[in-house]
Amino acid sequence: MNRWRVRHISTRGLLYGGALLLVLQAAFPFFWMVSTSFKPPTEVFAQPPSFIPQDATWDNFHRLFTTTNFLTYFWNSLIVSGLAVLLTMVVSAAGAYSLTRYRYPGREQIAVLILCTYMFAPIMVVIPFFILVKKVGIENTHFALVLALTSFCLPFTLWLLRAFFQTIPIELEEAAMVDGAGRLRAVIYVVLPLALPGIIATSIFTFILAWNDFIFTRILIAADELKTLPVGVQDLFHSALTDWGLIMGAGVMITIPALLFFMTVQRYLIRGWGAGAVKG
Amino acid sequence: MPSNQAPPVGRSRRQMVMGLLTIAPALLLILGLILYPVTYSIWLSLLEKHSFFPQERFIGLENFVYLWSDSEFWTSFWLGVVYSFWTILFQLILGVAAALVLNESFVGRGLVRGIVLFPYMIPTIVAVILWKWLLNDTYGVVNYWLLALGIVRDPISFLGTEHIMLSTIVMSVWQFFPFVLLSVLARLQTIPEELYEAAKVDGATPVRRFLHITLPQIRGILFVVILLRSIWMFTKFDTVWLMGEGAGAGRYIRTLPVYAYMRTLTYYQAGLGAAIAVIMFAILIVSTVIYFGLFREEADIG
Repeated sequence: MNRWRVRHISTRGLLYGGALLLVLQAAFPFFWMVSTSFKPPTEVFAQPPSFIPQDATWDNFHRLFTTTNFLTYFWNSLIVSGLAVLLTMVVSAAGAYSLTRYRYPGREQIAVLILCTYMFAPIMVVIPFFILVKKVGIENTHFALVLALTSFCLPFTLWLLRAFFQTIPIELEEAAMVDGAGRLRAVIYVVLPLALPGIIATSIFTFILAWNDFIFTRILIAADELKTLPVGVQDLFHSALTDWGLIMGAGVMITIPALLFFMTVQRYLIRGWGAGAVKG
Repeated sequence: MPSNQAPPVGRSRRQMVMGLLTIAPALLLILGLILYPVTYSIWLSLLEKHSFFPQERFIGLENFVYLWSDSEFWTSFWLGVVYSFWTILFQLILGVAAALVLNESFVGRGLVRGIVLFPYMIPTIVAVILWKWLLNDTYGVVNYWLLALGIVRDPISFLGTEHIMLSTIVMSVWQFFPFVLLSVLARLQTIPEELYEAAKVDGATPVRRFLHITLPQIRGILFVVILLRSIWMFTKFDTVWLMGEGAGAGRYIRTLPVYAYMRTLTYYQAGLGAAIAVIMFAILIVSTVIYFGLFREEADIG
């Protein structure tokens, strides 16, 4: 009995030790980023480093907003990601509805085709994309960027929403239609409310993908006033190579929206994961 | 699921029209903006083409012949294999281990899970500037610790030619193992508790329980995870590019995606860049077919 207790306590200890290590490795880099972003320049380079800023200051953020184009990048990121989410959701909700509710020849082949394109990596698409966009003459526009992000997100949002729509019994819609509601009304009042958790989760995944995108923006956008955050911050990093306080401040500012969205979507994650949710 | 009876004839025509109309926007975007560019890149790989000027000249397979004897191409290929192999191996080990920890119940599990998953959700640029700061050779906190604990006598140049591959691998594992963790965890939570209880009664040790119960159960998901991670790591661009940008020490992490990008946008040889992308695509298709052949059983489970 006693031996069993000792073993039980040591496995619990091991478990908590493991959990602690996991938390530390994930959280420490972020803690360090936040800490650095509040330090004045002299303290950033102090040896030994201070873990909690001794002279906490907003100076880095102030300079970020006033001396760089950070706010423009931030605004562009919001617009581009927002539009990409909107377009992706409309197109993929209609597509997923089609794949689960209508019957027509080629439907299953289309579903397989979509799954195959899910495996394409951006680097295979961007080089021809770059040439084609120049031919059409829409390079350096948010329009091209939104289209590119949308089509890149589509395969997985379609796949995910299709899985969500499949779990909604078709009989509910049919019942509504028998009661005299048209199909559109049945969709708006029956299907969409039931699919809402799936739609929210999918749109947040899309938002995170668009918000994080680097390669499409790098290739399609050259004008500084059109850049989104990841590309803008990379350029900032080049021009302010040793201003670590400023750069960490930029890092904090990009991470905050990601953190907010992550917190909202966390509870859907496990569920979405089963259907093959996130890519990268 | 769609109901099983066949719809009346009049309705089936309407079904077809409505079905095609609602799928059309998605299909057009995928065909026009993914499949057409990929097909076009095959054509592009047969051309000599400047990335910015419209002139183009058909040269057949010359780009591929050039790459065959291009030592930089082979170096990039090899660096990509090294990078993918080690990052995937450690993502799997850490991901499965962490999933086993998070599958147990303990106080604060939900919070721990959230914190551990978070690095996977942040933009790569944030992960890169974070790690460049942690690993900075003069002011980095990692070097400070190594010196303070007396492990090294001089600071290590983590981002210099000798260690940049190692640093990039560590950073990538940190950023991407949560994907493995969450996929495996989702599967672990569906394994019936009774299986473990029966084994405990029989006196099986934790290691044996893992090998004989857990592992067979997660084989299917591991098959899928290894496939996806291999594709994504082999074609990973942003992480590797942002760590090294192809020049200086970055030459030592110049994998195929970086090389394809540089041929297109540094040397303006779009044809050659497309040829590298086509080769990557071919490698992936061949490897996927072989992989499915080797692990047919797991493919059925997955």
